[in-house]
Amino acid sequence: MFRASLKSLWAYRARMTLTLMAIVLGVGLICGVYVYSDTINRGFNEIFEESFSGVDIVVRTESDFTFGEGSFMDQEDFDRLASAPGVQRAYPSLAGLGLSLLDREGEVIGAQGSPTFTSNLEEGDSAGFVIDQGLYPAGPDQVALDRATADANGFQIGERISLVSEQLGRMEPVLTATARLAEIDNLGSRWILFDLPSAQQALGLPGKVSGGNVYVIPGTPVEEVIAAMTPLLPPNAAVVSGQQAAEEQAAELQGSLGFLTTFLTVFGYIALFVGAFLIYNTFRIVVSQRTRDLALLRAIGAAKSQVMAIVLLESLFLGVLGSLLGIAFGLLIALLLQTGLGAIGLTFPTTSLVIAARTIIVGLAAGTLVTVGSSLAPARRASRVPIMAALNEDAAAPARRSLVKRAAGGGAVAAAGVGAAWLGLFGGGGLGLSAVVWVGIGVGIVFFGMFILSPLFAAPITNLLGWVAQRTGVAGKLARRNAMRSPRRTAATAGAVMISITLVALASTMSGSLRATIDEVLADDVEADVFITSSNQFDPTAGFTTQLAEQVRGLEQVGDLTRLQVAPVRTLSVRETAAGTEENVSELNITSVEPNFARFVPPESSVGTLHPGAGEVVMEESIAAGNGWTIGGEVTLQFEQAGERTFTLAGTAAGPAWTGLILIDRSEWPGLFNSVSDSQIYIQAAPGVSPDDLKAAIEAQPLVAELATINVQTEEDLLSQAEQGINQLLNLILALLGITVIIGMLGVTNTMALSVFERTREIGLLRAVGLDRPTARWMVRMEAVIVSVFGCLLGVGLGILFGWAIVRALNDIGITSFLIPWLPDSWTVSSVLGSLLFWVAATAVLGVAFASYPARRAAKLNVVEAIARF
Amino acid sequence: MTAPAPTAAARAEEITKIYGSGDTRVTALDQVSVAFHAGEFVAVMGPSGSGKSTLMHCMAGLDEVTEGTVWIGDQDISKLNDRQLTRMRRRRVGFIFQAFNLVPTLNAKENITLPADLASSKPDREWLDQVVETLGLGDRLRHRPSELSGGQQQRVAAARALAARPDLIFADEPTGNLDSAASGELLEFLAGAVRDFGQTIVMVTHDAVAASHAGRVVFLADGRIVSEMTDPTPERVLDRIIGLER
Repeated sequence: MFRASLKSLWAYRARMTLTLMAIVLGVGLICGVYVYSDTINRGFNEIFEESFSGVDIVVRTESDFTFGEGSFMDQEDFDRLASAPGVQRAYPSLAGLGLSLLDREGEVIGAQGSPTFTSNLEEGDSAGFVIDQGLYPAGPDQVALDRATADANGFQIGERISLVSEQLGRMEPVLTATARLAEIDNLGSRWILFDLPSAQQALGLPGKVSGGNVYVIPGTPVEEVIAAMTPLLPPNAAVVSGQQAAEEQAAELQGSLGFLTTFLTVFGYIALFVGAFLIYNTFRIVVSQRTRDLALLRAIGAAKSQVMAIVLLESLFLGVLGSLLGIAFGLLIALLLQTGLGAIGLTFPTTSLVIAARTIIVGLAAGTLVTVGSSLAPARRASRVPIMAALNEDAAAPARRSLVKRAAGGGAVAAAGVGAAWLGLFGGGGLGLSAVVWVGIGVGIVFFGMFILSPLFAAPITNLLGWVAQRTGVAGKLARRNAMRSPRRTAATAGAVMISITLVALASTMSGSLRATIDEVLADDVEADVFITSSNQFDPTAGFTTQLAEQVRGLEQVGDLTRLQVAPVRTLSVRETAAGTEENVSELNITSVEPNFARFVPPESSVGTLHPGAGEVVMEESIAAGNGWTIGGEVTLQFEQAGERTFTLAGTAAGPAWTGLILIDRSEWPGLFNSVSDSQIYIQAAPGVSPDDLKAAIEAQPLVAELATINVQTEEDLLSQAEQGINQLLNLILALLGITVIIGMLGVTNTMALSVFERTREIGLLRAVGLDRPTARWMVRMEAVIVSVFGCLLGVGLGILFGWAIVRALNDIGITSFLIPWLPDSWTVSSVLGSLLFWVAATAVLGVAFASYPARRAAKLNVVEAIARF
Repeated sequence: MTAPAPTAAARAEEITKIYGSGDTRVTALDQVSVAFHAGEFVAVMGPSGSGKSTLMHCMAGLDEVTEGTVWIGDQDISKLNDRQLTRMRRRRVGFIFQAFNLVPTLNAKENITLPADLASSKPDREWLDQVVETLGLGDRLRHRPSELSGGQQQRVAAARALAARPDLIFADEPTGNLDSAASGELLEFLAGAVRDFGQTIVMVTHDAVAASHAGRVVFLADGRIVSEMTDPTPERVLDRIIGLER
C-alpha cells in the first residue's frame, strides 16, 4: 500500500510539487522566525551571561523614570558600598544618553534607529565592555567606541571623532581603542566609552554613577557581603548577585523583543494557514480526478480504510518532506530577516544561527499536521465513492451542498463576528477583554464567515470580471465560463489569495489612515511653520539650550514662537469601584508651555482656560475623564525629583493635536526639574516669509550648526519623516505578506493546472475546431486572472472593513482619520505598494504569470491524443 | 507532383504515417492516396486499427504525416505551421466527433458559432437559421450541452460543422453513441446537406448501415486502401467487410 501511495505521488508529481512548495513556504516562514528570534535571544543571553561572569554583586539604581535623574546615584555612595567588609574590589559604572556620534559628513549617526549610549570603561573589570584593540582612554580628550560602530563607520584608532552633546556642544576626542561586550560587538546600539570622570562630564552628571560591579574576597559568601552592603544603600539603589542580574537583564530584553517575535510568528502562521488552503484544494481536486483509479482499487478488493490510508499516506509523505525542506528554507528566511530588519535599523547582536529542537519539532509538526489534516476530508470522500458509478461515469460529480444552507451558515458566522466587533467598537468591550481584543476576535470570525460565503459571491463577481475579460475576445469568453463553472473551486482558490490580500489591504488602510491623521494634525491643527526638536528620540529628557530660542526670536523672518519643555510624569488617581478602590497609574509626558501655546495648537473644543496659571494644569479631555478629574478639582502628578505634587485642573481641551497633552506653565518648570533646557520650539513665519526661507534662516544660526543634534523641520519635513517611519514598517509587513501572496498565487497555478488536466478533451476539441495556441494560452491565463482578481477584490473589501473597524477602535489613541489608499499619492515604492489598486493590478499580472505553466500545457497539448481521450 | 483536380475538396498523395520507432514502430498509414470530391459524401470503413481515424486526422490537419502530401482544396497543408493549420481548420474544415463534441460551458448556439467566434468573423445569419431549422434545434439553442439528449448534441455538432460552410466536414463515428432512431435522423441530415447544399462530408464509421447513406465507401485495412464501392447498400458493405476480415 505504501508503494501504491508513492507511485501515485510520482504520477501526480507536477501538482504535488506545487503543494510541496506551499508547505515549504509556510513552514519556512515559521521556522525562519523561530531561528531568527532564537538567534537574537542567544545573542543577548550570551552577552549577559558572559558580561556578568565573575561578578559577584551588582549595584544598581532603580527608578520609575527611564534615564531620569533617579537612574543615577552619588559616586560617594558607591564608594561607601565598596568599602563594605568582604569586598575585594569594586568598579563604578555609568551609562546614559545625551551624546551623539557624528559621521565624517557631520551628520548624526543613527538618529532614527537604535540609541547611542555613553558609558565608562574600567580597567580590571571583566564585566561590561573590555578593550578589543588599543589603549584604555584617559581624560576627556580620549575615547573608545564599540567595535561594530567603529568598523561600520571606518573610524581608525588614533583619529579624532566628533561627538555632540545638546548641553555641552561639540567635542573632538582621539579614538584610542575599540571595545567589545563579551564576544559580541554591541547590543545593536552605539557605545561611546570614556574613563569615568570624562563620561560624567560628557553626560553632564558630575559625581554620579549608575551602579557598579563588585568582586568579593575569595571564600567570602556573597550573601554576607550583600547583607553588609544593604544598610549602606541610597534609597534608589539595590544590590543583587551577579547571576541574578544576568538573568534579569536577559529576561527583560527578551521581554521587550517579545513583541517583535510574536509579530513575526503571527506572519508565519498566516502563511501556513494560506498554505493549508492550497494543500486542501489540491488534495480535493486530485482525489476527485482519481475517483476512477480509487474505485478500481475498491472493486478489486481494497477496503474503504485502505483507500483512505493510501490518500493519507501520500499526504503524510508530502507533509514530512515539505516540512523538512521548509525547515531548511527557514534558515534562509532567518538570514533575510536579519538583513531586512538590519536595513531598517533593527540590528541585534550577531551570533551564528540558532536551530533549536523546538524549531524543528514545531516546523515538522505544523507542516505535517496541516497537510494530513487538509487531506482528511478528501480522503474520506475518496473512500466513499460508489464503485460502479465511478467506474462507469467519466467523473463522479460530488453532491452539491445546498446554497441556502451555506448562506445561512456563513451568514450566521459572519453575523457573530460582526457582533463581536460591534461590542468592541460601540460597547467598549466586555468580559474583561478590551475593545481592541473584541474587534480582533470579531474580525477573525468574520473571516471564517466570508470563507463559507465566498462561493456565493463567486458566480456574480466572476461573472462581472468575466464580462470585462469577454470584451477582449473569445479567450476571455471561454475563461469567464470556465471560472463560473465551479463556484466552490473558484472560491476556494481565491480564498487563499483573499486572506493575504485582506491583510495587505488592512495594513495599507491602517497606515494610510495613520498618515492621513498626521497630515491632518500638522496641516489643520498645528499653526506653526517650522519646528525645532531634538534628534535624540530615545532620551525623554533630551533638550537643547534655551539660548537657541533667544537667538531665533531675534530673526526678522520669525513672526512668533513658543517654547515647550517635555519630561516624563506619572498620573496618580484613585477610582471608587464596586470592588473597592482602584489605583490608576499611567506614564505620560508633562509639557511646560507659554501663554501663546494655544495659538500654535488650537484645540477643536475646550472647557475652562487653555493656559494654566500657577499651581494649575490643563490637559486633554480624555485624560481627565479617564482619571475622573473634573475642572476645579485636584490632580495628583508624580515627578521624578519633586515627588508627588497636587495641581488644580483649570481646563480641558480636545483635538487630534492635543492627544496626550498635560500642560503646566513654563514658570513651574524650575521647581520640578533640575534641567532647564527646551525640548521643542514652534515657530510661525513673519508675513510673506515661506517656511523654507524661515528654516534656512534658522539653520544659518551658528548655534544650530554647532549643536548638530537638533532638527529644524518644516511641516512637510515632519510629515515626510513620519511617513518614512510608517513606510518602513509597512514595507516590512508587506514583504512578509508578499510571501503569503505568493503562496496564494501558487494555489491559482495548481487549480489551473488541474483544470487544464481535467479539460484535456475539451481543449482538444476547441483546438480542433480552430482555437489557436495563443488563444488557448490566453484562455487559461484569463481564467487565472479572473480567479485571482476575484480573491483580491474580496480581500480588499474585507481589509477595508477590518481597517475601518480597527481605526474606529483606535480612535481614542488619536487615529482620527480614515483613509482608503486606492491610488498611490506619489511614485515612491512604499506609496505604490501601499495603494489598493496596485494590488488589484498586481494580482491580475501575477495571475497571468502564475498561470504560465498550465497555459503552456493547454496550448501544447496534442490535439489527436486529447480528443481520443475520455 | 500534379496539381489536384479542381473538383477535389481534399486529397492525399502517398501519405505514410508512422508512430513510434524501433520495436514499437507502427505504420498506421502506408502510402495512401485518396481524393474526396466536392459535393461528395464518402464513408471510410475498415476494421479496428486499419488506420481510418489516422487518415482522417492527417487529412484534417490535426496530425502530421510522416511522408506524402495532403491538399485541402488547392492548399498543401503539410507546409503549414500550427497557427496556419488552426486557421485553415477554422475556415475550411468542420468536425463531428463520436462524443463530447460540445464545450460544456457554452450553450448550443454559442457552440454552433464557436468557429466563427474564434475567427472573429460574423456568422452568416440566414444560413445559420436555415441549418438550425433543418436540424430542428430552434427551441434548444439556449440550452447547455448537459441539457440536451445525445442525438440533439450530435445535431448541434453537425450544425457547428456546417455553419462555417467549410470545404469539407470530417465526421468520426458520428453515430457511435446514438440509438438507431437518432442515428438515422443525423445521417439523413448529413446526406441532405450533401444533396441540397453541395457540402462535402467524409465520415469514418464501422457501421454498415451508416456507411450505406454515403455515395461512396472507401475500405481501409492495415494502413492501405484496399477497395472502394459506389452507391452502397448495407448488405453489400457488410459482405465487403466480412471479406476484408477474412
